[in-house]
Amino acid sequence: MRLRGWVVPVLIAALAGPLAAQTRTITGTVTDSATGQPLAGAQVNVKGGLQSAQSRDDGSFTLNRVPNQGVTLGVRLIGYRGLEVSVPLEESGPVAVALAKDPFKLEEVVVTGQFVGVERRNLANAISTVSSEDLRDVPTPSIEQQLQGKVAGADIQTNSGAPGGGVQVRMRGITSINSAAEPLYVVDGVVMSDVAIASNQNAVTAASQGSNPELTQDNQVNRIADLNPNDIERVEVLKGASASAIYGGRASNGVVVITTKKGRTGRAQVNATQRLGFFSLSNKLGSRVFANDAEVDAAYGAGVGAAVGCTPTSCPFFDHEQELAGRKPLSYETLASVSGGDDNTKYYASGNVKHDGGIIENTGFNREGVRLNLDQQLGSRVTLSVNTNFLHTKAERGLTNNDNSTTSYYVALAFIPSFVDLTRNPDGTFKPTAPSPPFPPSNPLQTAALSSNNEDVWRILSGANLEWRAIQSQNSSLRFIANGGLDFFNQRNALFFPPDLQFEPVDGLAGTSLLSKSDNTNLNLFGTVVHNYAPAGRGFSATTSAGVQFGRRNLDIDRTTGRNLVGGQSNIDAATNIQVQQRRELIKNLGYFLQEEVLTAGERLLLTAGIRADQSSANADAGKLYFFPKAAASYRFPNLIGEGSEFKLRGAYGESGNEPRYGQIFTPLTSTVNIGGVPSLIVSSGAETGAPDLRPERMREFEGGFDMQLAHGRANLEVTAYQKNVSDLLLRRDLFESSGFARQIFNGGKLRTRGIEAALGLQLVDHKDFAWFFRTTFAHNRSKITQLDVPSFQQGGFGASLGTWEFTEDSSATRIVGNDTLTAPLTLPDGTVLPTGSAVVRRIGDSNPDFRMGFGSDFTVKRFGLHFLFDWQKGSNILNLTKLLDDFGGVTPDFAVPLPQPVPFGNDLLTTVGGQRLAGFGVTAGNYVETASFLKLREVTLTYELPNSVVRGILGARRSARLSLSARNLFTVSDYTGLDPEVSNFGNQAIFRNIDVAPFPPSRSFWFSIDVGL
Amino acid sequence: MRLTRILPALLGAALLACNDLDVGDLNDPGVNAVQASPTRAGVLNLATGLQTGSRYGVGQQNGYNALLGIVGREIYNFDNADPRFVTEMLIGPLDGGSPAFGGNLYGDRYSNLRTANVLLHAMANLTDDPQVGGMSAAEKEVTTGYVQTMEAYDYLRVVLTRDDLGAPTEVDIDPTATPAPIRTKQEVYDTIVSLLEQAKTHLQLGAADFPFPMSPGFSDFSTPATFLTFNRALRARVAAYLQDWPGVLAALGESFISPATPSIVASPPFALGAYHTFSTTAGDSTNNLFDPNTRALAAHPSMLTDAQLQVDGVTPDKRIVDKTFPLTDPKSVPQGYTSNFGVNVYTSPSAPIPIIRDEELVLLRAEANIQLNNLADAVTDLNLVRQVAGNLPAYSGPVTQPALIDELLYNRRYSLFFEGGHRWIDARRYGRLASLPLEPGTHHFSRFPFPRNECLARNPQPAAGCSPEPGSP
Repeated sequence: MRLRGWVVPVLIAALAGPLAAQTRTITGTVTDSATGQPLAGAQVNVKGGLQSAQSRDDGSFTLNRVPNQGVTLGVRLIGYRGLEVSVPLEESGPVAVALAKDPFKLEEVVVTGQFVGVERRNLANAISTVSSEDLRDVPTPSIEQQLQGKVAGADIQTNSGAPGGGVQVRMRGITSINSAAEPLYVVDGVVMSDVAIASNQNAVTAASQGSNPELTQDNQVNRIADLNPNDIERVEVLKGASASAIYGGRASNGVVVITTKKGRTGRAQVNATQRLGFFSLSNKLGSRVFANDAEVDAAYGAGVGAAVGCTPTSCPFFDHEQELAGRKPLSYETLASVSGGDDNTKYYASGNVKHDGGIIENTGFNREGVRLNLDQQLGSRVTLSVNTNFLHTKAERGLTNNDNSTTSYYVALAFIPSFVDLTRNPDGTFKPTAPSPPFPPSNPLQTAALSSNNEDVWRILSGANLEWRAIQSQNSSLRFIANGGLDFFNQRNALFFPPDLQFEPVDGLAGTSLLSKSDNTNLNLFGTVVHNYAPAGRGFSATTSAGVQFGRRNLDIDRTTGRNLVGGQSNIDAATNIQVQQRRELIKNLGYFLQEEVLTAGERLLLTAGIRADQSSANADAGKLYFFPKAAASYRFPNLIGEGSEFKLRGAYGESGNEPRYGQIFTPLTSTVNIGGVPSLIVSSGAETGAPDLRPERMREFEGGFDMQLAHGRANLEVTAYQKNVSDLLLRRDLFESSGFARQIFNGGKLRTRGIEAALGLQLVDHKDFAWFFRTTFAHNRSKITQLDVPSFQQGGFGASLGTWEFTEDSSATRIVGNDTLTAPLTLPDGTVLPTGSAVVRRIGDSNPDFRMGFGSDFTVKRFGLHFLFDWQKGSNILNLTKLLDDFGGVTPDFAVPLPQPVPFGNDLLTTVGGQRLAGFGVTAGNYVETASFLKLREVTLTYELPNSVVRGILGARRSARLSLSARNLFTVSDYTGLDPEVSNFGNQAIFRNIDVAPFPPSRSFWFSIDVGL
Repeated sequence: MRLTRILPALLGAALLACNDLDVGDLNDPGVNAVQASPTRAGVLNLATGLQTGSRYGVGQQNGYNALLGIVGREIYNFDNADPRFVTEMLIGPLDGGSPAFGGNLYGDRYSNLRTANVLLHAMANLTDDPQVGGMSAAEKEVTTGYVQTMEAYDYLRVVLTRDDLGAPTEVDIDPTATPAPIRTKQEVYDTIVSLLEQAKTHLQLGAADFPFPMSPGFSDFSTPATFLTFNRALRARVAAYLQDWPGVLAALGESFISPATPSIVASPPFALGAYHTFSTTAGDSTNNLFDPNTRALAAHPSMLTDAQLQVDGVTPDKRIVDKTFPLTDPKSVPQGYTSNFGVNVYTSPSAPIPIIRDEELVLLRAEANIQLNNLADAVTDLNLVRQVAGNLPAYSGPVTQPALIDELLYNRRYSLFFEGGHRWIDARRYGRLASLPLEPGTHHFSRFPFPRNECLARNPQPAAGCSPEPGSP
């Protein structure tokens, strides 16, 4: 059917229902009550009606077709207190609305379910919200880093300093041992994949051989890194099951609900930002300085000293770390957005180009993206929103983390003392690590210069939302919402190690080319109905929502490993030894939910109850429904502690799940190996089998707390205590080896995490020329294994000789144990006495911090602004295995420092610090356990708003321009002797972080930015 | 029709269409499916899979040849990145909790035994009618004989690493149930002998050809009749370990041992045998014992210092000259252990690793003849090996049992260098572990402890083998 241009509006008008016989138009302006400045973007609604409008740049608004009777207008704007204004029939002039500031956003609507929310002042959960103005202070590659230190209870750590992400978010401590540890990310209603796909660099590093067969040491990036933080309007962080239950079987680790920017009524707003900056190495390990040839000969054999140019009085010294990671290439980011619209159509379009230059040659991060968010009114009852984001990221990651082949930069440096010259020869080739042996044939400067490790991601994230307001009356409203979303990306990992690399001939196959292509498709479909019933004069409103959600996640990873490259070609078919690998995953799930929310007692009491039922193909019984209920209540006491104060008590309970990973329900025979081309089907060594009733982990969380606003809204305190009980943990039961299987995945055991978190905000000074806003967050938690249906077991890391985690009933879930030698007799519970010198495995640390704290301030002095944010972690331990490697190589800076008193060890006498540390290898794992406490200056920004007169002269009226200087991770205070106490060799892990093996070195970044609003 | 009315209907229909949530294993066939509803192709793939599984770990630098080579002082592994090859395998104690340092020598073999078991179940459930995709009774017969021979080889490698601790010999059990009892060393050997003997019968009674292909390492044993000669070679080795000397000679008589000198000296000499093969093609494994730059593997210095001299009176034994190469810079570790020689036994990533070959069979015949006091026959065989493999002069020492045992062990050590821990196994069975070299601070081990979970699953735990093996200084 062809529709003529006029048909659609008429049709839509017809759909809009009967019009009142006579209507009128209301106009008005919205201003800031303190400054009198016009406010744009305020939402103006006719209460109980369908008419709504947004204020324009000059604060004006126009409401058409208002019934010809007295009406009440509701006026709302984020950051301001809402107001109701009654407009009698006889009033004909413009309506003046003055809104008062609401610095803690008590009236902001916060998500409590699918497409429903309540005002923050009534909220029964501690949901943290971070808005766009808090996200733009200092640029970061990925969104999670923007949240560091800003969300109480979210422990956010960077896995390494590599450009392009790899960041872990853990909400409220430990929720699982083996299962997923990352929160669920929902962007404009679409579940966005945060999967981390390994680059397959393991084919070169051989890190995951022996005891760690999975590709977890590839310094992989979790893909939420693709999202452009600058497009985000706000982030709501649902930290535990009590808040996230309605998201069901995947919500145990919390849910991060991200809303991107939308257009507003009014003329087109153009915003542009240009940033220039650079990254620079922020910490070095240092390397042992050799005094003379005798010291070298003693350490590496006779004649080595002379061979490397040492004399009886001196040795050459090369700062290899500086040579490797001392680059400061120009980095830049260009952002532009345009938004606007009218009452029917609103749009937000943005584009960005970003380049982070890496501190090591051939490393860096690029992102380019475009976004279009469109909202279209189809008549007065139907709204269609379409969000589309197309983006490309390219990360050049370098070669870092653990290896078993002496190829990773910092592993090689552990065996290359400071006197070895690694620089280029005059002809451009790199000097060999001579003499070799004793030094390994691996020159990290050459590796960095000639090899590449590139990760390209092309991604499209698109969602459509159709909302039909079927009923909108004084007493009730009924909305149907259909939402569909698609998240597709292709990740291409291309790694190239040319044959002339010094380490390349080691396996007899010169040159390695690795190509991996991965496709990930997430599809979501929601159908939701929301009914709101607020009978006039009855003093309550009830919101009922119900719906169904279908999700489908499909991942296909294809890897090719090519070795022995003919002519040094990087194409994989130029290799004589080609290995291919394919891994597919598909999970389908269906969820149903129902929620009831009642606000009563003069909007003081909020009661919520809901239930979610989930079925998923990841469970052994795909048809079985798992139920996740929730309930919450809050009561607020206005003016309890003085005029203008608010006090709210709240409590919430909820359950959520963490489903098995794809494939865990199966007992596979391996079909991907052969011998001489003869096909093979085998029970492979280390085969895992799934329990026949495998099901999701279940978290039951109770949280309670209070929120307080004092001093007329200038102080805000939120305090929350919670307890999470996780049962049906997905545990690995080690099977006795003679069964032929290594492990079984089954549900069992329980753990408990208790914690407290607080957020305090103070508007200390609020003067026209000087303002000081201070805020701080605090979080503390402790976990305990309360029941373990298997014998206590060790997991993670590299075994007890280097430190591993041990899980035992009634002890911490984050306890690190390791080999130790008794220095005094030890009496065991059964009465046996172990003599001094006995080898034992016992606690040598804990990977959970005592607390995390963030604090910062925003100062405004006239046109200048100063913002800073500190992130403090107190306690927790890290295994510094980089130091162990350095000790093996004898290059730790303090290695040869003499001990004040020689220490006898066996038949030997230990005389040096390094010798003593190393002598404990395998017997005193604690020698390499260090504190991971740190205080980091995450963000510091100095801004200057250009005076209107200047701006007007250059750009014209009603324009704004801002200059800023900012820095990220400017300094770190830590007793840790490694590069960075945040690192994780194994990437994102529920528990097994805190292992430092040759990571990418950390950097600080500096930026100069110009923001212009046109 | 109004858009707003059809929307819920469309959405409902879409969701109903998505309602089938069952997703199978997209990557691999499942054990349960293969056993319950087997196919001929599946069973045959499992059969050839036994050759892949049998090789599993052997070509690794922490595998059977490497670890037994270290404790038997054939080689060192001075891997910079993993000091446990020194701290655990030389200094000790041997830790049952180290899956990659001995636990693998146990678990890898039982995984392959489980494969054999899955195969036997699947084959039992498969129809006997080849016309409808089954296997004929005669095919099943020879397949059974093949499977039992491969099982015997796995059990043999288990008992060689655990020795007097014994090992379980029932694997057809629920992996989550109580584990099977640990049998004594003698009982494990009884099982091995019984499997080899049953296999012999099955191989003789069935079809003339195997219904599945053989990997290149078994190219000389690709029919039931020739495969039986491999079975008998293993049987001869087992008989020697059981000191059943007449049994050694009887089994050798039916094995592939070369009947006469000319074929033995064919080039390369003594190469006839069964091998684990490797290649660089996709899906296959490479031989990681090939270490041309001595990144990790080095020859034990005693292999060079103990070598006899060739006929020229100057050059050491040809075998060690061929199988090692001098290093310009010595390879060493902080503990002070050093080697001046790299290992050259496997000369490419595709070099095969012997399972059993002619040279060992000749030496087994010599050994049995020494023990049976047929000393002249023994000297003939020893000289054959000395001259052909070692380019040594004819044996000129005393022709007595003790002297010839010494001479035999010397030749086994050099002929079978780095081919599967023979120096260690021989030293143990002749009570000579204490005579192996002992670097300062290191220990001699006579056995590997049970892996950790084998112990934890048992109540009470076995009396021996569940604590670290301290070794003897």
